[in-house]
Amino acid sequence: MNPSLAVIFLTLFSGSGFGLMAIVALVNDFHIDGGLSPLRTVVAVVLALILVTIGMVSSTAHLANPKNAWRAFTRWRTSWLAREGVFAVLFYPVAITYLGWVFFTNKDQDSVALVLGNASAVLALVTIFCQGMIYACLRTIRQWHTPLVPANFYVLGLALGATLLASIRLMLAGPDRTLIGIALSFLLAAAIMKAIYYFWIGRPSGTTLQTATGLSRGKVRLLDQGHTFGTFLTREFSNSITPIAAVRFKVVVYVVGFMIPAGLLALGLYEPLGILAILAPLSAFIGIGVERYLFFVEAQHVVNLYHGRAPASMPMMHPNLRANPTAEQPPRRLVPSYQKR
Amino acid sequence: MRLGLVIDLDTCVGCHACATACKEWNASSITAPLTDYDPYGQEPSGVWFNRVRHYEVGEYPNNKTINFPMSCMHCENAECVTVCPTGASYKRPEDGIVLVDQDKCMGCNYCSWACPYGARELDHESGTMKKCTLCVDRIYDQELPVEERQPACVLACPAHARLFGDLDDAESTVSRTVRDRGGYALMPELNYNPTNQYLPPRVRPAIATNDLARPSLARKVKEWVNRVVER
Amino acid sequence: MAATPKTEDHSKQEIKYSTCYMCACRCGIKVTIEDNQVRFIQGNRNHPINKGVLCAKGSAGIMKQCSPARLHNPLMRKPGTERGAGEFVEISWEEALDMLTKRLEHIRATDPNKLAFFTGRDQMQALSRLWAQQFGTLNWSAHGGFCSVNMAAAGLYTLGFAFWEFGDPDWDRTKYFMLWGVAEDHNSNPMKIGIEKLKSRGGKFVGINPARTGYQAVADEWVPIRPGTDAMLALSMIHVLLSRELFDWDFLIRYTNSAFLVVQSPGEKGDGLIYRDANDQPLVWDLKKEAFVSGMDAESHPALFGEHRTPDGRTVKTVMTLLAERYLDKRFSPEVASEICGIPASTIERLALEMAHVAFKETIEIDVEWTDWAGRKHNKFIGRPVSMHAMRGVSAHSNGFQAARAIHLLQILLGTIDCPGGFRAKAPYPRPVPPPGKPAHHSAPNTPLDANPLGFPKAPEDLVIDAEGRPLRIDKAYSWEAPIANHGLMHMVITNAVNGDPYPIDTLIFFMANMAWNSSMNTANIQDMLRAKGEDGEYKIPFLVVADAFHSETVHFADLVLPDTTYLERYDAISLLDRPISEPDAVCDSIRHPLLELDRNVRPWQEVLIELGARLKLPVFTNEDGTPKYEGYKDFIIRYERYPGVGFLAGWRGKDGSKSLRGEPNPKQWDKYIENQGFFQHHLPMSQRYFRFGNKEYLEFAKEAGFNYTADPIVIELYSESIQRFRLAGLGLYDGPQPKDPVDQERLATYFDPLPDFYEPLEQQRIDKKEYPFFAVNQRPMMMYHSWDSQNAWLRQIIAQNYLYMNRAKGESLGICDEDWVWVESHNGKIRVQVRLIEGCQEDTVWTWNGIGKQSGTWGLKPEAPEATKGFLMNHLISELLPEKQGERRLTNSDPITGQAAWYDLMVKVTKAAPGETGVWPTFSNVMPLPGASPKPDVLRYSTRPEA
Ligand SMILES: Nc1nc2c(c(=O)[nH]1)N[C@H]1C(S)=C(S)[C@@H](COP(=O)(O)OP(=O)(O)OC[C@H]3O[C@@H](n4cnc5c(=O)[nH]c(N)nc54)[C@H](O)[C@@H]3O)O[C@H]1N2
Ligand SMILES: Nc1nc2c(c(=O)[nH]1)N[C@H]1C(S)=C(S)[C@@H](COP(=O)(O)OP(=O)(O)OC[C@H]3O[C@@H](n4cnc5c(=O)[nH]c(N)nc54)[C@H](O)[C@@H]3O)O[C@H]1N2
Ligand code: SF4
Ligand code: SF4
Ligand code: SF4
Ligand code: SF4
Ligand code: SF4
Ligand SMILES: [Mo]
Repeated sequence: MNPSLAVIFLTLFSGSGFGLMAIVALVNDFHIDGGLSPLRTVVAVVLALILVTIGMVSSTAHLANPKNAWRAFTRWRTSWLAREGVFAVLFYPVAITYLGWVFFTNKDQDSVALVLGNASAVLALVTIFCQGMIYACLRTIRQWHTPLVPANFYVLGLALGATLLASIRLMLAGPDRTLIGIALSFLLAAAIMKAIYYFWIGRPSGTTLQTATGLSRGKVRLLDQGHTFGTFLTREFSNSITPIAAVRFKVVVYVVGFMIPAGLLALGLYEPLGILAILAPLSAFIGIGVERYLFFVEAQHVVNLYHGRAPASMPMMHPNLRANPTAEQPPRRLVPSYQKR
Repeated sequence: MRLGLVIDLDTCVGCHACATACKEWNASSITAPLTDYDPYGQEPSGVWFNRVRHYEVGEYPNNKTINFPMSCMHCENAECVTVCPTGASYKRPEDGIVLVDQDKCMGCNYCSWACPYGARELDHESGTMKKCTLCVDRIYDQELPVEERQPACVLACPAHARLFGDLDDAESTVSRTVRDRGGYALMPELNYNPTNQYLPPRVRPAIATNDLARPSLARKVKEWVNRVVER
Repeated sequence: MAATPKTEDHSKQEIKYSTCYMCACRCGIKVTIEDNQVRFIQGNRNHPINKGVLCAKGSAGIMKQCSPARLHNPLMRKPGTERGAGEFVEISWEEALDMLTKRLEHIRATDPNKLAFFTGRDQMQALSRLWAQQFGTLNWSAHGGFCSVNMAAAGLYTLGFAFWEFGDPDWDRTKYFMLWGVAEDHNSNPMKIGIEKLKSRGGKFVGINPARTGYQAVADEWVPIRPGTDAMLALSMIHVLLSRELFDWDFLIRYTNSAFLVVQSPGEKGDGLIYRDANDQPLVWDLKKEAFVSGMDAESHPALFGEHRTPDGRTVKTVMTLLAERYLDKRFSPEVASEICGIPASTIERLALEMAHVAFKETIEIDVEWTDWAGRKHNKFIGRPVSMHAMRGVSAHSNGFQAARAIHLLQILLGTIDCPGGFRAKAPYPRPVPPPGKPAHHSAPNTPLDANPLGFPKAPEDLVIDAEGRPLRIDKAYSWEAPIANHGLMHMVITNAVNGDPYPIDTLIFFMANMAWNSSMNTANIQDMLRAKGEDGEYKIPFLVVADAFHSETVHFADLVLPDTTYLERYDAISLLDRPISEPDAVCDSIRHPLLELDRNVRPWQEVLIELGARLKLPVFTNEDGTPKYEGYKDFIIRYERYPGVGFLAGWRGKDGSKSLRGEPNPKQWDKYIENQGFFQHHLPMSQRYFRFGNKEYLEFAKEAGFNYTADPIVIELYSESIQRFRLAGLGLYDGPQPKDPVDQERLATYFDPLPDFYEPLEQQRIDKKEYPFFAVNQRPMMMYHSWDSQNAWLRQIIAQNYLYMNRAKGESLGICDEDWVWVESHNGKIRVQVRLIEGCQEDTVWTWNGIGKQSGTWGLKPEAPEATKGFLMNHLISELLPEKQGERRLTNSDPITGQAAWYDLMVKVTKAAPGETGVWPTFSNVMPLPGASPKPDVLRYSTRPEA
């Protein structure tokens, strides 16, 4: 799939914002670290809202006809994308009310605050779920069509949220074991989930060019795709990277996305990091941003089969590599020029 | 009613007539125009509703070439419609045709992700998703002669490799042909239940040659006995 | 739920009928017009050719009409600039025609042959030919010589009709169809309609072709033959049939010259000629009378086999005896053929037997009373439902004439000629074998030629050579180098003119032919020749006029460009006097008429020809008093009569339009055609539809209609006496002109075989096949027409770059991977191109799509268009001359009999390019935009409707 920046930003930022919101509720509900102070709650919720908003705004950049964006809520009965929109939109008033309550009453532990906080968190979690389901519901993309996707979105969003919160705590008030423990557990959970996911997408799928065309007499190969240059379909769906590049990117995900943040947070337990604590979420964002890039670029839409591209089980294989596995060649350029403009 | 196309892989010669006829009709049709990018330049590209791909099956010398036209299958379980957040994509209950309302589409591409058959193409100029309309504006046009109330691609196809009709009606030509020829849908495992069907290449029975005279060495030219035939 | 989308507002639309021009198939089109813009072009359901369907090119006609490659104004090479520099100035039509008239007047008054006028995929040859004949130059022909004259000649010297556009399989009845060397054909849509009909009836379709795409894709059996060996395959199948006595005795005796007796006197004059009586009637041996009788005697009972002694002591054998002696020989056995053609012997045998089975065991009958040539009544037509078609895969080889004859022989032995289910003629064919009419020979100042520039030589006397045996035509057609070059040798014109061999010319007019690019062999060299100057500083071709509608590579080299209209903007007649659109069941012709208003300063070429004709006072175009005879093309078509009652259009003749085929001019003829959706058809009655070479009713009709001069039966010639006469001349055994050059003598003696034989294509005889192991051929892509569809914004999205296709296993064995860049080298040059490995390619063959490569800047494309930067032409590798041989003058790379350009004899080697060597090579300099050229939009949003 085309790793469009708009969609990467959407899922990354709104995911982290929703995750942060959920963590805030969790911390306040269970008085972890004695609960956040109202001030910290306000800071965290404002940050969550900013992140969600960055995500939402960047998503409209993905629309070719944004003037109709307002219609995007109408089909919430069937469309996970509409549902995401609906819940995201519902999230705002609740979260803002929560923010207002805490800000004006300076209470974050009264029942109103708890109800509003939990309501915001629930909406955040539901929105993350919808966001995950946008991808998971697509039978056309094997790498996405799995409960692992919403699960991943959850752990990654929560890991980002928890890392943010933990690092804010580190910066503003020094370490808190429980908060850092939560962040580390979510980072670990995310790393494990991602490992399961990466393992899972390597599995062969049943659909091949042979089954997709119904031509069962022998091996089916593309002779000609019927157009010399790219089309909307190739632009949108044929992105892929070589297996070697994919492995490299995954190393980045693990090192930058999970290990460095975890290491920094752990370090924070022993050494005052001060402003340097910002590096933990920063690194996590970069690493998980790369994860999100991989999430798209490794996703192979079934229509690629018709263009003679690798079966879904080998998402990163370039056709040239199949013909001659030893030759390392740059992927064929299929992106039409209008994309460059 | 379930209107759709039946594509005969036994006779499709891969001429792209259906694809260009479609482009031509739809250039000025209900989702007009179909933008072309860099039409005279380095990487010409554009919006098409129907594309013909070419495959090879088996290995030389037992290989067969298959030409494979694909357009919207007007699926029964049209996920493209289910996922569309705006309601721009819809499936007509009366005949099963799947359409995109150009006035509602926000160009999010989501429906195209949901389509396994590559039937949807975004027009970057209008910012809207476009796709095969099954020539809904031809097939119901009462002002056209009855024989012409057919999709443009079907009318053009020189190899008559495209049939149009109601696949719900068991007695329609399309339904009967699908039954007789073992027509199939693409990627049934995805459960989209496409309306369009493909007819597999026919297998010809061998021609008997054992009813013919045997060669006989004795019959050399000189010994050929003439037959009396009047000029 | 959204409302049902609106349908069309038909009130603003107009529907008009015309004829497509995107290829020579000439389908009927139904054009919907909105605001002087094309809304939709679709097939005309009532049209005899396409019956409503349309191909990709036809459906993309809109993009031709709005192409930025269209010419806008007459152009003159900018004074003081060099030819081919691409600098032009716009001039008026008056200036252009004055300039040309002056030049042509002088030529006509001195030496008319100094004008060479050659036309490409011309659909109005009858007019351009008439014009050239009136001008008085021998140097006219259309594209047939580089296209498929082998098919035309082989058919016309054998059957009286031919593959190409002169015959069709009986699609409604045939049960077995064998297609030889065809990718798309001229008869594109009917072929597709027909194949589907055959397959839906359960008939078998066999494709003989080194490549498996297009039609071959849907073939029930694909026979990957080695290029250039079809004659061997056909003759080997004949071997199988003969060895089992599987041939149609009755057919052979009744309709062919198989029982005619041939004189056997090797080394003597008259050897190999038909034994004739005092009245020049061919003789046969009558089995009942046991005597020689006239072969044209209906009451005779000719012996098909036998050897006899004539009263004057000569040995004579029947044609069939010679044939059996020849082809029963082991060298035609499937085992030997298998080695040559690369097809298993068992396949060759099986195919032959399958056809025999269908011909003889699945015979069909049509109950209709008909009369044969001798007046005998029959109550049914008996059909042998095996049919064939062949085209350039066979014809574009230097052994193509004989290969096509071999295929015809196979058809004849099976009795499948013009019978139900067989291969059927299209009016005005069949014609006598060979047709009457000798090529014009004599040219004189200010005098029309006394004959057509083209004709059908039957003997060396008919050659167009001078007393010394030197060619009289610039292309050397009808000389010893190409004696029956029925369509000329357009591919030699530039080379010969520049070499002044046989003589220099002054003015060269090209109409609709891209001779500076895809229609020439050796393109780069040809471009140099167009720029070549003599020692006097004058161009070797002093004046080049190009009449074209678009900015082609050839336009770039013109001194004068005369811009034509498009097919939607002019009148055209697709005439029976030309290459007609008839169907086996109906005599047909058709027209075009302007559907759109002109928006440029362009004029239909036919109008220009008629005006030039009047300006030059050519008799046909001028009144006695010297005033122009015709107001223009439209008027000319109505009033001109070739013979009394016979004009360009056959429909609605007679003063009131009541006569068909023959009748006085009808002033309302165009209107009648337009009313009838642009075409005319005369359906033949059932009794006239088959065996037309021997069908009395038909033959009389054909005479009346002016197709043939006589109603005599047409005798199919298995054995060609005309060809034998040339062979005798080569052997020095002919009373009449004989070649002096031993090279010619040898070529005549070797290749002019009265019975078809297989020989290795000429170029291949001279090439080291170890060095150049691959055969290299081309195919036409179904959705592109030669060079000209590259301008089409829709079609070029489908294909804008070609590759060299190679057998996958073979490529891998050479270490070549998919999409590698390779060098392809022939004896003539080399190119660097990109490879695709595929299954559907014979192992020893490489192929590419024809005509995709372009010169940068032409065809309204931007300089960086992939056609110029990635596409390529195989033409660079093909030489118009055979590889040099010691002690021999340079010979044309053409069939030694017909002069057909041997495009597909090419042998190449393919080697992997070094790392870093990518991109096509050679590339050509960028051509500048023409003055007044339309802009090339970056985004195209064609629509006759505002955006929905
Ligand atoms: N779409 C389209 N239609 C066209 C044209 C076009 O440019 N585009 N051009 C028109 C013109 S001018 C012409 S002449 C006709 C020609 O129409 P075709 O006869 O179809 O011409 P080619 O494309 O040259 O096809 C030659 C075929 O013969 C095969 N071949 C090559 N060598 C041999 C051989 O030795 N033996 C056998 N058995 N096969 C061989 C090639 O693989 C190829 O498939 O098409 C006309 N129609
Ligand atoms: N390597 C290789 N070369 C080949 C062949 C091959 O198979 N292989 N095939 C050969 C054959 S069979 C043929 S027939 C030739 C094709 O030879 P050509 O006849 O040269 O064909 P095109 O290149 O299609 O077009 C000729 C010109 O006609 C112009 N034209 C188009 N429409 C009009 C019009 O309405 N009016 C006027 N005045 N001009 C118009 C076009 O702009 C173009 O410049 O190519 C030959 N060349
Ligand atoms: S083919 Fe694709 S666009 Fe058409 S109905 Fe099915 S899913 Fe939707
Ligand atoms: S692109 Fe348009 S039609 Fe497709 S899902 Fe988005 S809004 Fe719906
Ligand atoms: S039915 Fe109409 S819109 Fe659909 S592919 Fe055919 S021509 Fe195009
Ligand atoms: S028009 Fe017919 S034969 Fe041609 S590609 Fe389309 S379906 Fe196949
Ligand atoms: S085959 Fe195609 S290009 Fe040729 S005349 Fe017919 S419709 Fe036109
Ligand atoms: Mo041709």
